[in-house]
Amino acid sequence: MLSKVVKVATKKSHILVPDHVYVPKHEIMTKKEAEEILKKFNCKPTEMPFIFANDPAIIGLGVKPGDMIKITRKSPTAGESIYYRYVVEV
Amino acid sequence: MSVQTVKAIDGIRFSVWSPTEIRKYSVAEITAPETYDEDGMAVQGGLMDGRLGTLEPGQKCLTCGNTAARCPGHFGHIELAEPVLHIAFIDNIHKLLLATCRSCSRLKLPQEDLDNYTQVQKQKAAYTILSQKRIPDEILDKAKKAKECPHCGKPQYDMIFTKPTIFIEKTEIGEHRLLPITIRERFTQIRDEDLRLLGYDPNTARPEWFILQVLPVPPVTVRPSIILETGIRSEDDLTHKMVDIIRVNQRLKESKDAGTPPLIVQDLVDLLQYHTTTYFDNEVSGIPQAHHRSGRPLKTLTQRLKGKEGRFRGSLSGKRVDFSSRTVISPDPSLDLSEVGVPEAVAKKLTIPEIITEWNIERMRELVINGPDIFPGVNYIVRPDGVKIRLDFVEDRSVIAQNLEVGYLVERHLSNGDIVMFNRQPSLHQMSIMAHYVRVLPGKTFRLHPSVCPPYNADFDGDEMNLHVPQSEEARAEAILLMRVQDQIISPRYGGPIIGALRDFITGSYLMTKDDTVIAPQEFANYAMLGGYEGALPEPAVKGKDGPMYSGKQLFSLFLPKDFNYILTSKWSKGTKGQAKDVVIKNGELISGVIDKASIGAEEPESVLHRIVKDYGNAIGKQFLNSVLIIAKQFITHYGFSYGYADLELSDKVKNDIHTGIQETYDTVYDLISQAKKGTLKLTRGLSADEALEAYIVNELSKARDKAGNTADQQLDQKNAARIMATTGARGSSLNIGQMAGALGQQSIRGNRLNKGYSNRALPHFKENEDNPDAHGFVKSNYRDGLSTIEFFFHAMGGREGLVDTAVRTQQSGYMQRRLINALEHIKLEYDGTVRDPHGHIIQFLYGEDGVDVQKSDHGEAFNIARLIESETIVDTGKKAVKDEQEELLKKYTKTFNPRLTRLVEEGITQSKLSRDGIEKVLKKSLDLYNKAKAEPGQAVGIVTAQSIGEPGTQMTLRTFHFAGIRERNVTLGLPRLIELVDARKKPVTPTMDIYLEEKYKKSREKAIEVARNTLQTKVSALLSTADTNYTNEITLELSPGALNQRGCTVEEVETALASNKKFKIETSGNTLTLNLAEEGDAPTVIAIRNKVLNTIVKGVPDITRVTVAQKDDEWVIQTTGSNLPKVLEIDGIDKRNVRTNNVFEIAATLGIEAARNAMINELSSTLEDQGLEVDARYIMLVSDMMCSRGYLQQIGRHGIAGTKDSVLARAAFEITVPTIADAALTGEVENLKGVTENVIVGSNIPVGSGTVDLFMQVSKS
Repeated sequence: MLSKVVKVATKKSHILVPDHVYVPKHEIMTKKEAEEILKKFNCKPTEMPFIFANDPAIIGLGVKPGDMIKITRKSPTAGESIYYRYVVEV
Repeated sequence: MSVQTVKAIDGIRFSVWSPTEIRKYSVAEITAPETYDEDGMAVQGGLMDGRLGTLEPGQKCLTCGNTAARCPGHFGHIELAEPVLHIAFIDNIHKLLLATCRSCSRLKLPQEDLDNYTQVQKQKAAYTILSQKRIPDEILDKAKKAKECPHCGKPQYDMIFTKPTIFIEKTEIGEHRLLPITIRERFTQIRDEDLRLLGYDPNTARPEWFILQVLPVPPVTVRPSIILETGIRSEDDLTHKMVDIIRVNQRLKESKDAGTPPLIVQDLVDLLQYHTTTYFDNEVSGIPQAHHRSGRPLKTLTQRLKGKEGRFRGSLSGKRVDFSSRTVISPDPSLDLSEVGVPEAVAKKLTIPEIITEWNIERMRELVINGPDIFPGVNYIVRPDGVKIRLDFVEDRSVIAQNLEVGYLVERHLSNGDIVMFNRQPSLHQMSIMAHYVRVLPGKTFRLHPSVCPPYNADFDGDEMNLHVPQSEEARAEAILLMRVQDQIISPRYGGPIIGALRDFITGSYLMTKDDTVIAPQEFANYAMLGGYEGALPEPAVKGKDGPMYSGKQLFSLFLPKDFNYILTSKWSKGTKGQAKDVVIKNGELISGVIDKASIGAEEPESVLHRIVKDYGNAIGKQFLNSVLIIAKQFITHYGFSYGYADLELSDKVKNDIHTGIQETYDTVYDLISQAKKGTLKLTRGLSADEALEAYIVNELSKARDKAGNTADQQLDQKNAARIMATTGARGSSLNIGQMAGALGQQSIRGNRLNKGYSNRALPHFKENEDNPDAHGFVKSNYRDGLSTIEFFFHAMGGREGLVDTAVRTQQSGYMQRRLINALEHIKLEYDGTVRDPHGHIIQFLYGEDGVDVQKSDHGEAFNIARLIESETIVDTGKKAVKDEQEELLKKYTKTFNPRLTRLVEEGITQSKLSRDGIEKVLKKSLDLYNKAKAEPGQAVGIVTAQSIGEPGTQMTLRTFHFAGIRERNVTLGLPRLIELVDARKKPVTPTMDIYLEEKYKKSREKAIEVARNTLQTKVSALLSTADTNYTNEITLELSPGALNQRGCTVEEVETALASNKKFKIETSGNTLTLNLAEEGDAPTVIAIRNKVLNTIVKGVPDITRVTVAQKDDEWVIQTTGSNLPKVLEIDGIDKRNVRTNNVFEIAATLGIEAARNAMINELSSTLEDQGLEVDARYIMLVSDMMCSRGYLQQIGRHGIAGTKDSVLARAAFEITVPTIADAALTGEVENLKGVTENVIVGSNIPVGSGTVDLFMQVSKS
């Protein structure tokens, strides 16, 4: 769409707290794992939820745009649940 | 009937009409400003030209030859004498003028930059999806700064844009107006590849088309003229505007031909521009609105589309329907829960089409003989050849009845047992439209059972409701399968019953089941019959003096399932401090306890009703409720239950007690005030002296009210009607009783006592600054004795606030609901268990993270394992299973369960005493229930989510202010906070942080205070006792030792903080700092410097304006006002892993999107919980996931989710209608009609729920 700018938080902090109570476990997935996930859910990468390459939670994991991140969340309904995010350029 | 080809719209492409296209589509050039001649005939070449379509039914269209019913209308055109700008594209024209060269029309960026961008745009890597969207804006930003064209080297000039339509270029020679003609010439030269970089689709929208040379004239069907009773023709607003355009256009043409001076011609061009602008949009800022002769502003094109009553929201998203009816509602407790009483007059108008078969032909004949006026009858008969016979005009209906044949269609009156949809606005959740069975009754109102009021939120003070009659077999089947009242007993919001007993039904069942109730056998039999009991009567359990009698509990037990076991605590028992777990039901027999709101009430999860509905199914649950309600109603009617003035009478002694109690409190208040004046009042952290005093007083007064209320309440015995109603939960609370019999208490406005109004007093009847609580709205009287004049006035002040509050909040929550619905409406559950939008974007990988449908769940759980084990234990006779057996069975059955469920089941089973067989039975049942509780594919989970969060928003309106105790922090709560959260604001109204501390700091208060001091933002001004300025060269700061000490600062720290400022030199002596300015200045500069000095931060974190140290479960926590997460994380001594803020946006920036999602869930659920509203975690998770699914926090609203939807129509239907469509045309967007709103707009089936399913046919290759 024209004239609609995606507004992103630009003020990223230089202090990283990857073990903060709010931050779930982020893991980088291998190409093969990522492809399996795409196949399992029968979808294109653009249809996955996104995460920015400079997201504070994945800095230090050595991610680059195009990677897939596996997130292990605590869940009030299921105890534990897995979420996937596709790394996109800022 | 003839076979018609069914065509479905596949998609809609938006584009800008080019002049060529306009001329091609045109059937006539319109030149004449007149519409009709003297004979009333349409003028050739006029705006009502016959070639543009027909209006009158008899007339034939001169273009297509059809009559009015079939002619779609045809466009004409006007050739404009001078080109004008199209107002909808004015921003794009402006941007293009800024970004392109005035001479060669290239983008003013070096070729290599352009090539780069082209490369980026061509690169199709998936991860560039968001960065690609920013290209146009980046180019525009860079290009407009260029002073010289990098392509042709020509200088570029500044542009002045005077809204709405004038562009002026500032050249060396002077200011020079850019005429549309020039703009057009520039635009024609812009290259296609440059346009593509800017996001344009040059095939659908060339920028020169934004400058109109020829104007399309819409067909007459778009702007029909109406003939008033007086016979005068009245034209549509659009026609009026077109007439203006043609007139000016003609004059302009004539002037140009006559060689009139250019100045006058320019005036005419401007006038033409004005008229075309207002023709497109009559609400453009900067130019006067065009008015009708009567003074009413004209409704032109934009106004037709825009807003609530506009085309999109008024006519396309919301459509008027036939076969519906609306009237006042009234209660009828004799009806079945699932019935609706329909007035005969309504039933005779609403019809159901029924095809005659050999099985119903006799019945239909009778109905046809009855005709349209005798109920039950028939209004129309449709023969197989399509001829419709209206029975009003038939002389002898018996002849027609005899001629009925199989295959005829009869439109018969609505009658008993038909299924209809019943609705009350506002339709905030799915239970606002439910399917009822018809019961035709005399009277003029719709009748409904009082117990279905809560889901509709209906009462009988004049409410009206709507009734819709489904016309097809499919529609009826869906209504019966999905929408019946009995299937809506369990609310999808929290998985508990929303329908249940209320008011007198509860009182009735209490009276019926209390211990001393006995019922004679004769009566017992009557009640049993009324309740629909069909089994054998039990033996009477009580011996009365006139022979054996039944107990009330026996009566209730008749309707319980025979194998039902349950234990709970009744409201009554809780209220009277009786025994806990008093209600015992064993094998369908009520052994002890009374049945009240806790057992069968509405909105009571884990009640007897809830258990029966859950364990035995909706149908049995509804039957149970029906029976109980009917006998409770009958019982209370016979019993005689009333309430009056005498029930609240108190003895003089008690009244005196209440009075002295209040007087004592008054004395305490006076005492507090005098303490405050002396300065001996103990201050509370974080409150000023005045605030603390006020808080203490309010606290005392509220205690006084409670005491008065309790004294009164205790005087009423347990047989007192008010007590019964309050304790059983039927109506009212002991607070209400206290206010009726004791004292009304403090009246408040916005949570404060009444202080303002006149100078230092609330009313002129008091002295200024009165200490007496009477003067500040404390009402000593009660409702029974009546209020004094002044008390009454104070009470009215408080009451007014309540009314205003409700009015304001309903609007706010209504808009929040609309935004939520719009953001989530298209979200559905797919066959693979994922939650996606219609374009395939995944929001959740498993719905609610466990795939369970809340409405089918047991209060949020897939099944209640404790209850399954409990009921099995009662019947289980075998030997306790050994550990191995338990484990083996667990392994076998819990394979598909998620970790949490597995753990719960394991815990339950290992702690139980069940035998092997028992365990197997329980696990089998668990697995079965788990599979049944799963949400079904196609479910519109988005809509249910939006409703489950939006609907409680309306309830918050009434439950806002409950302040108790003394608050240290002021935090936004309730609806405003909820709105703030879904808005994803950058900064909440009241940002606060909870900072947990490292091990060595968290145990002692002193250490915690030390950290708190480093956190609190301390400015120089906070440390001063005096500051002097001589207004030329010197500022003297006198630091206060007390303040330094309290803030934990030293003089040196202040010095270093100020050292960075180079405008002065510091001299220090003791606590005095003298700042000698480097150069002498005048007073304003010195003041500016002083202010800067005073605002210099000495230590602490910016934005943290207040800190308090509080103890939370034996650890000290710093609570702050103001939030700054990144900076707080840098402070020593804090527990970095456990710093919390209520600013979700800040969390997204510092901790990442996943942390923001967790914070969002926490904030949303605590806000709702705080208001006592139960919303299932799955909904809160879905909203949070939705808001975080794009990697950044998206708002629920036009700037967020609703604004970034893929569908043009959905965006246009939400807000900012016209610019959305204009943008879609520029980019050549295609509407694929995959979502919900889009399909509603074009009138096809929506692709959620039962609309997901479609039939596909495999076409063989040959």
